[in-house]
Amino acid sequence: MARTRSKPAPKGKPSKEAPIEPVTSTAKRLPPAVTNAPKLFVLPKDTSKDTRVVTLPNSATGTPSRYLFCAEKGFYEFTRIGAAKKACKSWLITSSLSEGEKEKGNGQDKEEEAKKDAEGEMELGSGFLAKNPDLFIATPVDTLFLLLPALSPKSAKDAKAKQHFLSLDDHLDNLSSTSPHWISLLAQFPQLRTRIEKRLAVICDTVDAGDEIMYRLSHTKLVAVLVKKAERMSANGLPASLEDKFIKTALEVPIMNVKREESALSETTCTVVEDAAAATTTTPSTNGESQISVSVSSMDSQPSVTTATTTTSVSATVTEELSTPALTTPPSIPPLLRLRTSLTYLSSAYIPGTLHPILTPLLLDLPIFAPLATHLAALTSLKTEALSLRSISDNITRKRNFEDDDEKVAEREEKKRKKEEDEKKRKLESRAVKQLKKVDTSGMKKLSSFFTKAPAKKA
Amino acid sequence: MLEARLTQASLLKKVVDAIKDLVQDCNFDCNDSGIALQAMDNSHVALVSMLLRSDAFEPFRCDRNIALGINLSSLTKVLRAAQSDDVLTIKAEDAPDVVNLVFESAATDRISEYDIKLMDIDQEHLGIPETEYAATIKMPAAEFQRICRDLSALSESVSIECAKDGVAFKCTGDIGSGSVQLRSHTDVEKSENNVEIDLTEPVSLTFSLKYLVNFCKASGMSDQVKLCLSNEVPLLVEYGLQSNSYLRFYLAPKIGDEE
Repeated sequence: MARTRSKPAPKGKPSKEAPIEPVTSTAKRLPPAVTNAPKLFVLPKDTSKDTRVVTLPNSATGTPSRYLFCAEKGFYEFTRIGAAKKACKSWLITSSLSEGEKEKGNGQDKEEEAKKDAEGEMELGSGFLAKNPDLFIATPVDTLFLLLPALSPKSAKDAKAKQHFLSLDDHLDNLSSTSPHWISLLAQFPQLRTRIEKRLAVICDTVDAGDEIMYRLSHTKLVAVLVKKAERMSANGLPASLEDKFIKTALEVPIMNVKREESALSETTCTVVEDAAAATTTTPSTNGESQISVSVSSMDSQPSVTTATTTTSVSATVTEELSTPALTTPPSIPPLLRLRTSLTYLSSAYIPGTLHPILTPLLLDLPIFAPLATHLAALTSLKTEALSLRSISDNITRKRNFEDDDEKVAEREEKKRKKEEDEKKRKLESRAVKQLKKVDTSGMKKLSSFFTKAPAKKA
Repeated sequence: MLEARLTQASLLKKVVDAIKDLVQDCNFDCNDSGIALQAMDNSHVALVSMLLRSDAFEPFRCDRNIALGINLSSLTKVLRAAQSDDVLTIKAEDAPDVVNLVFESAATDRISEYDIKLMDIDQEHLGIPETEYAATIKMPAAEFQRICRDLSALSESVSIECAKDGVAFKCTGDIGSGSVQLRSHTDVEKSENNVEIDLTEPVSLTFSLKYLVNFCKASGMSDQVKLCLSNEVPLLVEYGLQSNSYLRFYLAPKIGDEE
């Protein structure tokens, strides 16, 4: 479309001469930010003296991650609890000594202290303001998960080859090759070796070779361990957000179209009520009909009118009854789904990627999940049915859903822009021009077939 | 620099009124010989060609060839602000963004000035050869308009049949058929009522009436209209303007599927 030639309105150029005035403020200067700001940790109580933070490969991703190691209690992983990015939050940390409560030196109490600080009881001079509102919590993690990277095949190609039985020492060597910290840990703490051996026995097939025991990862044993862990995890129900996202929505039964009841049904109920009216009786049993009885007794003298009113209300009751969902969720299903959700979580958070193709089918094909699978299949078929029954009017919302692609969005924008431009052009057209468009020009050749094209600029 | 002064704003008003229903945007090509315009309708079956020679203006000055791309409905809006007997001055720079129109009313010393934003219009320019037409009919513009209007009530298309004894406009539609016959006629008192038929060979062609009715909006431009026909060639409808300027319409004939 032709555009108007006018140039955009000239923008006022920023004048270079304008002096740049330094912003002076009367406020007291803040000290510059510290690069290595302290972090807040919540650590387990009563750990041994040698407790330390070590860097070991993450069991699921293989990336080096920090773990807390206690010789007696085993490994702890750190979970970061952060505030939402937009929430402007930070920590005020003060040393507990300045308050005179020397016995409360633990990191866990920092928060409380911060609160007390706010009450203005003490000097803040020695405090520290941490910009980052993160809190790291150490939670115990099963040693066997940390062993898995060494036990599992290194790559997808190796996964097909059979794993060999290896002695404990060989496994430990494997482990040591993944991180230098393993070496020092193994050297320093002999009890770690026995701990590892114990956990290995749980998930491995073993073979006696003379005085040594050889280990090889057993998938079925690992699955059994995982299921046990998942059962414990889901025993008390999942956290509300997980429950909402994975359990409730997955088990939602679509509401199918409400069917009208047959006329025969309403007729029969009708007659019943009529009889009741004649006898000026009491309340019918069902809850929905209680209203009817009121009208019946009040309009006692005119049975004909009464029947008329009752017919409508009775039919309404019946309709309501029919609108109950087409599929009910048996009580055994939600716990199963919870268990499965826990399993999926465990395997994605702790199991190395190379083991996934082997373990996932094993986990999902467990016989206990059979009823869940059939129920979910029934649900999906119901959902697709409901989707196809939807009216055309909400097509629009469905359309939006799968156009997440940036390209598609851009394409759509372009189309929209063109359309708008066309629209604008069309509005500018005079009525006669529009009328001319409708003229039947069949049999009329274009003028360019009669006249030769000349160069656009003709002097 | 373009500066063209028309003593009668009505000339431009009428020209624009006549073509604005056929084309939306067009280039006014200005050079030292005058202002020319060529544009086709949306379906490219009709063409309008206008030439306002420099003699029609006083004074006329155009240093460089300039194409003024103007939306005709915008131009109409601005020209509506001019009175018929205003003096109209068209001004534009050499590489213009806008065209400037000044209306001066001699009677009231009123001067109004308007700028219209220009557009870049990409239009095909056709070379129209000088053609010897088989039939040339001159008749009162109002007569042609009346014929077209009357026949368009009956049908979509009209066949123009020129023979020695005269010219016949015939049409057949759903409700019936109609025809108008014209013969050469000379009115001694009013020469504008003359009908002249100049024929070298008989011609019979069919045209869309809707387009012809549209052309007839130029009837006010001149007393006489000239129709030129040849077989297999577009019809030329010409309205002569003062000082050899003209407004011409070309329309492709309906060939082939004639009922």
